[in-house]
Amino acid sequence: MLDTELSIQSGMPAPFHAYQLDDAYDEMFSSAGRPRDHYKRLFRRLMELTPEELEERQQAADLSFLHQGITFTVYSDTRGTERIFPYDLLPRIISAAEWDTVERGLIQRITALNLFLHDIYHDAQILRDKVVPFDLVYSSKHYRREMRGLDVPHGIYITVVGTDLIRLPDGQFAVLEDNLRVPSGASYMLANRAVMKRVFPGLFRNYGIRPLDFYGQALLTTMRYLAPPASGDPSIVLLSPGVFNSAYFEHTFLARQMGIPLVEGRDLIVHDARVFMRTTSGLRPVNVIYRRIDDDFIDPLVFRKDSMLGVPGLFSAYRKGNVTLANAAGTGVADDKAIYAYVPAIIRYYLGEDAILPNIDTFLCSDSVQCSYVLDNLDSLVVKAVGESGGYGMLVGPHSTAEQREEFRRQIQANPRNFIAQPTINLSRAPCFLEGQVEARHVDLRPYILYGERVTIVPGGLTRVALRRGSLVVNSSQGGGSKDTWVLHE
Amino acid sequence: MLYSVRHTTRFQYKLPVSEAITEIRMRPRDSEIQHCNLFRLTLRPQANALSFTDSLGNVVHHFSQPGVHQELQIVAESEVMVSAPPVLPASLDATAWAQNDEAAAAGDHWDMFQPSAYTTSTARLEALARELDVTRRDDPLTVLLALNAAIHRTFAYDATSTQVDSPIDDALLHRRGVCQDFTHIMLALVRNHLRLPARYVSGYLHHRRDDTSADGASHAWLEVFLPGLGWVGFDPTNNILAGERHIQVAIGRDYADVPPTRGVYKGGSGSELSVSVRVRPLHGSGGAAGTADAPLDDGSEPPVYRSTAQALQSSYAQAQQAAAQQQQQQQQQQ
Repeated sequence: MLDTELSIQSGMPAPFHAYQLDDAYDEMFSSAGRPRDHYKRLFRRLMELTPEELEERQQAADLSFLHQGITFTVYSDTRGTERIFPYDLLPRIISAAEWDTVERGLIQRITALNLFLHDIYHDAQILRDKVVPFDLVYSSKHYRREMRGLDVPHGIYITVVGTDLIRLPDGQFAVLEDNLRVPSGASYMLANRAVMKRVFPGLFRNYGIRPLDFYGQALLTTMRYLAPPASGDPSIVLLSPGVFNSAYFEHTFLARQMGIPLVEGRDLIVHDARVFMRTTSGLRPVNVIYRRIDDDFIDPLVFRKDSMLGVPGLFSAYRKGNVTLANAAGTGVADDKAIYAYVPAIIRYYLGEDAILPNIDTFLCSDSVQCSYVLDNLDSLVVKAVGESGGYGMLVGPHSTAEQREEFRRQIQANPRNFIAQPTINLSRAPCFLEGQVEARHVDLRPYILYGERVTIVPGGLTRVALRRGSLVVNSSQGGGSKDTWVLHE
Repeated sequence: MLYSVRHTTRFQYKLPVSEAITEIRMRPRDSEIQHCNLFRLTLRPQANALSFTDSLGNVVHHFSQPGVHQELQIVAESEVMVSAPPVLPASLDATAWAQNDEAAAAGDHWDMFQPSAYTTSTARLEALARELDVTRRDDPLTVLLALNAAIHRTFAYDATSTQVDSPIDDALLHRRGVCQDFTHIMLALVRNHLRLPARYVSGYLHHRRDDTSADGASHAWLEVFLPGLGWVGFDPTNNILAGERHIQVAIGRDYADVPPTRGVYKGGSGSELSVSVRVRPLHGSGGAAGTADAPLDDGSEPPVYRSTAQALQSSYAQAQQAAAQQQQQQQQQQ
């Protein structure tokens, strides 16, 4: 029996028989049978519960997600169905000291990236000083020439950020990706917490967990701060692409949390460079738009002509400062995966500090030397398309077929600027409740950062889990799930 | 030379439209050799024209007409002073190529080196480059003057052959086109084969009888940045350098950046566009009066450029499907 063999190897008590420990950092155990301090109480609790009791709680959680309609859509799936977002029962726990580093590191990074955006759309001093190659910026498909010289309220470009962090084998948190356009998933973070409180009420109450349910209000406060100065009590809306979008659930959820109207492009109209919302009682001015639509689609007059989701003339109102877009247009250039490689240099340039959270080594295919290294090592590297997200356009070398590698080789050679590669990182593992026992699965962490009058980081974020054994891909579009994330007071 | 320009644009829609938003680039630029003294815009239906200056220094006007209408008329009148650009040397030093490359390596004019929507190379363009032997030799100015003449010689001007927004391959296939085609083809060759920064200029030409391009329409040419000289205008349609008769309105990477009008509206099922442009020198500005220089001004109505804008007709079901697809395309950074 495989299970018995594993349990002998791991030396772990039930329900941890199949728990795998190796050179990946383990969130819960420092070594077999020895939980880390901040996991000890959870460990004891799991020993007390029978597998049946755990199973019941998992079912209660799943039902709760189903009843709330918390779903997402997988596009590549021919069934084209909405799915329940897979929720893992066990929390991921982060100590206060670890969180302190994460928080300082994120504030530093976001501050620098925001300064970078302002710079490249104004004097481009960082390009003149040759800290970042100008052609990398100008050739980014998310660089918006329309943003040159345009001033955004308080100089804030990236209002809502979801930075993907992973833990290196030594336990240190590192940044895997910056998501500066329309980061999603905050609704799952909130929903996970609500369900957790219901299925583990006692454990939750006594664990000393920092709250995160203020997120909706914090988001609203941040948006208010960004309102054009003359707007008085600002009118704020959430602009969604519509019901067919994978994150539509999140759009409805956040609009409700914030207490603001959920609109689509056709609900808005621009007249004389001002934005209005059509309501049953006539047109109502709009001052701030939390938009969940890509730049390309926001205004058919300025960007894609064929966009049916945007608002004609919206950019003219934006340019005049009559309406604020959050996030600003053109932020995608700073989360381009080729620019990512320069973020430590960007932090040093603007803040004169070393990056608190390190980057992952990155090879730029735009550089011919690095590119040939990448092509020679496709079987060991992770290759990513620079402008994509959500795990699309990605090759995980060690888990790829020869055919897939050839396909990427062809694509890289055709358009080297479009690709980067990174070593395959053995992400940290956290305990998950799977099929009646606790097993270790790879996780990452996406904290949500709000940049308004001050930078607010919700303690925790979305821990994403690669539920398939051995898988390193945590994206929900690629078979990932999520779990509640606890940041402790002490 | 002081000119008065009257640029009339009329859209007639087959069915009534509403919620129209329009952007226009019609105000002549201010530059070292050009000054726009006066600009007046008359719109029907009436609308409040607002403006901004884009990152290339073009003045863009925009306006909204929410009500139901079946015709849009834009009359842009301007008075603009154009002085002669500095006289060019007969040729440049051969080191100008190296100077250009040095500036390019520093990132100057990056956008104007890149292939853009209308200047991306095609097999036919490569064939033309071989035919005309477009390669770096002598000095940049000499090569450009020869290329300006060669394009003029190779292509026939034919106002009916292409639309303002046709891809260059249409003109390359039939060896005929309008000023936009001449300009895009030369832009593509200059950027891709000479690796010099070049930009598209949309504007007006005060026509003479011997000009190739049609009077009564807007005009297009290109400018190339040359070491020591700055931006120098070439007009391959007429095989001349841009001079006192060229009135600059907007500059961009190509036509796509600077169409005179761009609009979105609801309803309708296609429209007919008619455009007329009248450029007149104003008296007392010292215009030359030689036979060849005599402006074309016989008091007749200016010719009108007509085209049918592409029909935007699609069924409701098709539109719904397209919208659903776009909703799915939105990256939510999951």
